[in-house]
Amino acid sequence: MRRMFLRRAGLALFLMLAATALTFAIVTAAPGNVAALIAERAAGAGADGEMIKRIADELGLNDPLPVRYVHWLGKAVAGDLGESLRTGKPMMDEFAERIPVTALLLFGGGVIALVLSIGLGLWGAVSNGGVVDRLLHGAALIGASTPNFFVAAMLVIVFAVGLGWVPSFGASGATSWLLPWFTIALFPASVLARVVRVNLQEAMSRPFATTGFAKGLSRRGVLLREALPNIAVPFITTFGAQFTLMIIGAIVVERVFGLNGVGAFFIEAIRFRDFVGMQAVLTLFVVFFVSVNLFVDLIAMFADPRLRRARRA
Amino acid sequence: MTTPVYAVENLIIDLYTPTVSVRAVDGASFEIHPGETLAIVGESGSGKTVMTLGPLGLLPEGVAIDMRGTARADGRDLVAMSQSELSAMRGGEFGVIFQDPMSALNPMLKIGPQLAEQARRHAGLSAADARKEAVSLLARTGIPDPADRYDRYPHELSGGMLQRAMIALALAAKPRVLIADEPTTALDATVQAQILALIRQIQKEDGIAVVLITHDIGAVSVLADRVIVLYAGQIAEEGSAIDVLTRPVHPYTKGLLASVPDFRSEISSGTREIPGLPPNQTKVEPGCRFAERCSIAQPSCLARRPTLLPVGDGSVLHRAACPVVLNAQGVAHQ
Ligand SMILES: Nc1ncnc2c1ncn2[C@@H]1O[C@H](COP(=O)(O)OP(=O)(O)OP(=O)(O)O)[C@@H](O)[C@H]1O
Ligand SMILES: [Mg+2]
Repeated sequence: MRRMFLRRAGLALFLMLAATALTFAIVTAAPGNVAALIAERAAGAGADGEMIKRIADELGLNDPLPVRYVHWLGKAVAGDLGESLRTGKPMMDEFAERIPVTALLLFGGGVIALVLSIGLGLWGAVSNGGVVDRLLHGAALIGASTPNFFVAAMLVIVFAVGLGWVPSFGASGATSWLLPWFTIALFPASVLARVVRVNLQEAMSRPFATTGFAKGLSRRGVLLREALPNIAVPFITTFGAQFTLMIIGAIVVERVFGLNGVGAFFIEAIRFRDFVGMQAVLTLFVVFFVSVNLFVDLIAMFADPRLRRARRA
Repeated sequence: MTTPVYAVENLIIDLYTPTVSVRAVDGASFEIHPGETLAIVGESGSGKTVMTLGPLGLLPEGVAIDMRGTARADGRDLVAMSQSELSAMRGGEFGVIFQDPMSALNPMLKIGPQLAEQARRHAGLSAADARKEAVSLLARTGIPDPADRYDRYPHELSGGMLQRAMIALALAAKPRVLIADEPTTALDATVQAQILALIRQIQKEDGIAVVLITHDIGAVSVLADRVIVLYAGQIAEEGSAIDVLTRPVHPYTKGLLASVPDFRSEISSGTREIPGLPPNQTKVEPGCRFAERCSIAQPSCLARRPTLLPVGDGSVLHRAACPVVLNAQGVAHQ
């Protein structure tokens, strides 16, 4: 277990390095001159070639790419992700303000996706080919193929504008989170509900399910007691993947609902060619991806007694 | 005679999957009484599992099942039962062990608590008593260090130990019928004998009825009181184990016994396979299902379906479905 954990952690570290290096290279190669941007912001139209060159030298922008990456990495590890070219504030301060917003969005969406998918997947399995099962199947297909912005628009039109139950914009109180949460949860909930349903069905055709019936359990009993624990590993793994993907959804959802999170910041960073901001956000995404996956791998290992034993050996 | 604990009569079971429909059981009847061991033998696919487990609703999901005829447990009609009555029947009157304990036991569930739960449900024990009962069940089925094994998962036990645990699970609710569907097929040869001895011991001690589905003629000769030989969903021959094994009448039974290595029988001169393959059970045709593989088949065999008739060797229970042989032996049939 310890060795397994160290191996996973080592792999995670390597992935973070590779991914940040790649994003660094891509962001740097993107059109736009950082030094010119900074000069413009400092001196307005008065920025001349000399000033730009001086800034570039100061920032080491003329060094070779690997040198610059290592330089950036050293500061990043020390907790300095630079200053946003757009707002001028340290990225760490931006993050301190915005990560809680995004985290709450992802957390709420994740909980909704978790509860909905297990509940609806089980419901479909109980119905087993009945009307409910088929309706849920259809709903999942629709849910998994409707883009976020469209879902958001529909929810806003119905619940905010039409019924006036919740605010349509901004983070003001608990109800203002409901629409963003459901919007961001719809896709993962749809995918995961199918995963639950399909894996339950597969488990129900395995010999241990027959043993469950032989023990005298009802079909519902077999589903809950025998089949459900057996879908733990595929469910946890898919949930992890879906949860990391939700950060992509957050970019759109934060923007649509006027939430001041990391995703909304990222869009602004792109628009203003805020390379420092972009690199910082992408780094955050990479860290999020890798650590969620690491965490999920560990949970899956604990969920399955067969994998758990590997740690004793 | 007592009421049979499990009996089916003129049972017909059709199975439908999206791709095929099969008549898995075609008019078979059997009954079993307390204290009796009934062996069911026949080639793979002959319908042994479907015939015994089908009426109990224990076929895997994904197959639609159409059942006709009667099936009773302790005189109660299984066909007319509601799902919950049938569940209660399965959990109370019947214990089932399967071929491969590794896949038949839930990999995510500890062994002991499952036993305790069964004991609890059956006898209404307290949690502590149920645990004791579970441990003693494990001990009874010959599992060493049962208190430790209580908290083990299936993957932590060997195949033989698992099959013992499976037997313990089947016995936990004190069933009246133990159905063992090829209980030794997946096990090592040395373990096979131990498991059979265990089943025999339990059968003796508890006086329960045992249905033993097997390919192992040796096991039949050791354990069984009576034998049913199944071919393509129909009973080819049945009778006491001694009669069927030492004086087989039906050409299929003879072939089956001859195909068993070193089984003492005057028919076997070395091992021989039965030529040909079992018939395609997707179409139901008149006549004897075995005719196309039978060395003594006559044109009349294809015309009419043979019925089970007494062999006339003095035992009323020994019956075979082969008019050709029975005629030759001078047994009148209608
Ligand atoms: N789950 C299933 N889906 C489709 N057909 C099935 C299924 N189970 C059994 N059958 C069919 O029903 C018939 C009888 O099968 P059954 O399992 O009762 O045979 P068996 O005598 O128990 O064989 P084995 O010795 O291999 O266990 C076979 O033709 C088989 O193909
Ligand atoms: Mg079988």
